[in-house]
Amino acid sequence: MSDHRVDPQEGLSRREMLEVTAAALATPLLHLGPAAAPPTTPILQGAPKFFTGPEFALLDELSDLIIPTDAHSPGARVAGVATYIDFRLSESLDADEKVKWHSGLAAVDALSQELNGKAFMQGSPEQRVAVLTKLAAADHDPKTAAEHFFQQLKGWTVRAYYTSKVGIHADQEYKGNVYQRGEFAGYDAT
Amino acid sequence: MTSVKTPPPLSQDVDLSKTYDAVIVGSGAAGGMAAHVLTEQGMDVLMLEAGKKLPIEQELRSMQWPYDHPRRGDAPPGYHSLSFNEYTIRTPPYAKGSTFKHVMSYVGGWGGSDYVKNILVDEKDHPYTGTKYAWVRARALGGKTNIWGRLALRLSDYDFKGKTHDGYGDDWPISYADIEPYYDRVDRYLGISGVKENLPQLPDSLFQRPNKLSFGEVKLREGLKKMGRVLTPYRAGVTTDGLKHNKYRSKCYGRGACDRRPGGCDIHAAFDSPTGLIYPAMDTGHLTIRTNSIAHEVLVDPNSGKARGVAFVDSGTRKSYEAKAKVVIVGASTLESARLLLLSRSPQHPNGIGNSSGHVGHNFCEHVMGPGVTGLVKDLVGKPPTLDDGRPGGFYIPRFRNLKDRQPGFVRGYGFEGSGGFSIFPGNAFGTPGFGAQFKKDVRDHAGAFIGMGGFGEVLSRYENYVDLDPDAKDAWGIPTLRFHYQFGDNEKKMCEDMVVAGREMLEAAGIEVVGTDEKMLTEGWSIHELGTARMGSDPKASVLNQFQQSHDVKNLFVVDGSSHVSASCQNPTWTIMALAWRSCEYLAGEFKKGNL
Repeated sequence: MSDHRVDPQEGLSRREMLEVTAAALATPLLHLGPAAAPPTTPILQGAPKFFTGPEFALLDELSDLIIPTDAHSPGARVAGVATYIDFRLSESLDADEKVKWHSGLAAVDALSQELNGKAFMQGSPEQRVAVLTKLAAADHDPKTAAEHFFQQLKGWTVRAYYTSKVGIHADQEYKGNVYQRGEFAGYDAT
Repeated sequence: MTSVKTPPPLSQDVDLSKTYDAVIVGSGAAGGMAAHVLTEQGMDVLMLEAGKKLPIEQELRSMQWPYDHPRRGDAPPGYHSLSFNEYTIRTPPYAKGSTFKHVMSYVGGWGGSDYVKNILVDEKDHPYTGTKYAWVRARALGGKTNIWGRLALRLSDYDFKGKTHDGYGDDWPISYADIEPYYDRVDRYLGISGVKENLPQLPDSLFQRPNKLSFGEVKLREGLKKMGRVLTPYRAGVTTDGLKHNKYRSKCYGRGACDRRPGGCDIHAAFDSPTGLIYPAMDTGHLTIRTNSIAHEVLVDPNSGKARGVAFVDSGTRKSYEAKAKVVIVGASTLESARLLLLSRSPQHPNGIGNSSGHVGHNFCEHVMGPGVTGLVKDLVGKPPTLDDGRPGGFYIPRFRNLKDRQPGFVRGYGFEGSGGFSIFPGNAFGTPGFGAQFKKDVRDHAGAFIGMGGFGEVLSRYENYVDLDPDAKDAWGIPTLRFHYQFGDNEKKMCEDMVVAGREMLEAAGIEVVGTDEKMLTEGWSIHELGTARMGSDPKASVLNQFQQSHDVKNLFVVDGSSHVSASCQNPTWTIMALAWRSCEYLAGEFKKGNL
């Protein structure tokens, strides 16, 4: 268990970094600033289990736009968010849920066609952000199919990212889940 | 790394030919305490537990990181945890017609259903009927103590003498002075952490090292002082300094696992009945345990009308057995104990054993919860992360209503449980608007800046809130199920409204911005603090048990769990269950030796 401990000075330790399955391919990203070009190929070992190749690429891009790499920490792509969602859906017994993901991604593409005249992945970075801006504007009061899907997508992205190694250690710099000895963290009541 | 001693082995092959001094039904806080006290007195005891003996450390895996679990703690496909929505729009039995292979109570949905999927019962096998009720059950050695919330509070004479104070309900047949020495013994034997506050409504325990507070919690404590109210570190039934007399438990190392899961501690710093009570009792050589043993009838001697043992069915083989004993002790949980008494009909006890009063199943009470407030501690926004969750709990705000004052809308009171600061998962991410780098930064900057708390209020004990046996419905073993006739009343509704107002007022007094309020009451049962279905009292016509949890009707029958409580108080019941059981079992052993049972 102590193997998973992170040196707070270094963020993600060298060993942890190599252990992050998804991060293995994108290690250099950890040292790049926000201006660096995002990787164009999705991070996935083997073919997706549930999504089609193009669906997976779209999901991966959407998740990484929601939680991108910044100067502080890697984003959803490096954290393997799409891979995790793909795995969960591949074994899910919830047929409705599965349909929602297929149709939701299609709805995003349809909105992109409406706004930009082209599919989401064909759009420029600015055009992609414009689609998400429209979706996020309805975050608290979704009406269209695409807006409902955005909630579902964001919820799963949040859940998958902040339970990943990248999310817990690099982004949140979580200090707990360790054996504290001697002086415990916090303040005395009196 | 800390290691604790492996438990003594258990066998299903127990001797049922002999007559034990006592048979105990249930192995949770009540049954475990009965086993501890009676074996220490040299009595020869058989304990029956309906559930399995689990390799609990492997179930709980307290230190497992979310990403080291394939589903980040979720149970495999086929498992479903009931939601508030399902409890609200449907009526029991909640698993009826479900397409899921396994259905668990809402506790599975706390994040970590994989860690409790073998501890909680499968609702499909354990149906019940009647009014809406979130009935959480754990069938395993140790029962719900395997995953309890650890808040270990004493009751006071505001509770024991509630009627004297405000005229409502009934006084208990004991006062604080009667139970105080037994609270002390529970504290010393099991360990509890906390800070002395000298409050009449929440007596202090004999505390080990207290939990620390987070920055926001200190701020709230200071704010409350100005109002004459108290915020105290979570009084946890956790040994923080260790227990020299118990080799099965480690002291707490502040790993924080207890608050990221539905509970449970794989080094047993948090009290659980097996390591705290049962294994040490086995080491005396006087305790025999049979698991997978579903008790369904207290057997009666037709000549004397006294209890002569317990009939049970093996949950695996479905074979029927009888356990013979001179004394029968029921500690199966408030609702299961009532069910067992009602199931035990005989010519001598036509309404169920110990039920000549007709009060078994009635006066059912608990705690109401749901309303709460969330605040933002502005000073903390953007501050670097700190370790805030390395402890068994956050804080507790003791009851402040209807002590010296009289509220216009309701009698009795409520306390708040809460916590503030960083945790392993930034829950604020779900409510943070937007996307992209700004969203990510907002989540980070605010993750440790929130403080939240929710009320736990006393539900009044009322005769008309009750359970009985469903005439038709049966569980997977053919045993009649409980039927609920239970609803919150006007007092609970008014109290819950006040929780929101008071919660808001307290955060504001501390200079903490209120950013959210919850107003809805959660489904009946949500607090998992059900009480009162076989209450104590001095009048055999209006109560089931005397002050020693001994049946008024059957002198060798004792019911030592929460069903005996006369009122719910607003303070969590586990410590009181154990203190009462200790007192009663000491009396029982004395009477047994004198030949009076």
